[in-house]
Amino acid sequence: MILQGAEVWFFWVLALLALMSGLFTVLARSAVHSAMFLMLTLIAVAGLFLLMQAEFVMGVQILVYVGGVLVLFLFVIMLVNVREERLDVARLFSRQWIGAVVLAGMLALAFSYAIRLADPYQSIGPPVSARTGAPATGTVAKNPQGATPISQNTQEVGVDLYSKAALPFEIASVLLLVAIIGSVLLARTPRQERIYDQEQETR
Amino acid sequence: MTMLAPVLAFIWQVTEPAGSVTSAAGFLDLTPTTTKFLILSSLLFIIGVGGVLARRNIIVIFMSIELILNAVNLNFIAFTRHWQMVGRISEHTGEIFTIFVITVAAAEAAIGLGIVVALYRNRETVAVDEIDLLKW
Repeated sequence: MILQGAEVWFFWVLALLALMSGLFTVLARSAVHSAMFLMLTLIAVAGLFLLMQAEFVMGVQILVYVGGVLVLFLFVIMLVNVREERLDVARLFSRQWIGAVVLAGMLALAFSYAIRLADPYQSIGPPVSARTGAPATGTVAKNPQGATPISQNTQEVGVDLYSKAALPFEIASVLLLVAIIGSVLLARTPRQERIYDQEQETR
Repeated sequence: MTMLAPVLAFIWQVTEPAGSVTSAAGFLDLTPTTTKFLILSSLLFIIGVGGVLARRNIIVIFMSIELILNAVNLNFIAFTRHWQMVGRISEHTGEIFTIFVITVAAAEAAIGLGIVVALYRNRETVAVDEIDLLKW
């Protein structure tokens, strides 16, 4: 059991919201509608992160996904929009949709089998800390006045990130640099390239 | 209908928890467990895979990939929480993995959408079944 009390209701509302809007992301006719439903899914998943006391990851999810990636999607949709799919003339799905449905069904069977195998994990007993007397979560600590509990999740994740995962962190920064340069290179128009070449010649 | 019966029986047998005592409560057991998080994230994953395989618009395919990555992140966080509840209090490996997945997803979206813009400039289409220059 991960959640208690009112968190249960939040779990079901957020889970249904994520599932339904995820489904509509795939099914929506207009790409802009898909992006809006994807935003709903991302926010619902961020709420689930918050329920599982991963506050820092929730913030990153909102900032990076909803604030960054989704805005990028919307920009590209507006650059590329063909208005063809609004009409019923254009086909919405490619011809391999039968294979897609079959493969998704097989994945569902495989996942349900794997979850059934892993089911002993479901029946975990009371937390070990209940026996030792330590606080059950470890992520919630009272401040000196003892008024409101303040989550130390961000601090703990930061310490782990810079101690255990320092090398992958640096590699990720190099990856982001490569991505920035690559996307600038890819999105150049031929006209911009010509102007750049002329500048090189006159220099 | 008679042809569907063995399939339904197989699905029922697969989805029914093995020898679980609590299965008497059946589907009305609404307590969110780690298993339910796994079920939710696998459903999101399946929706994403279906979108990747079936849609024509390459931008919607990218969005489905983001759905898949979010399902994986949900798994990571659920297992981290599970280990925290079991007693490994300072367990944050899954959250760190999630941060890296989000980083890679951002880089992938930037590069992929740059490719889409360049492709649209050259071919005037974003439908994946019309982009078949490299097909055998």
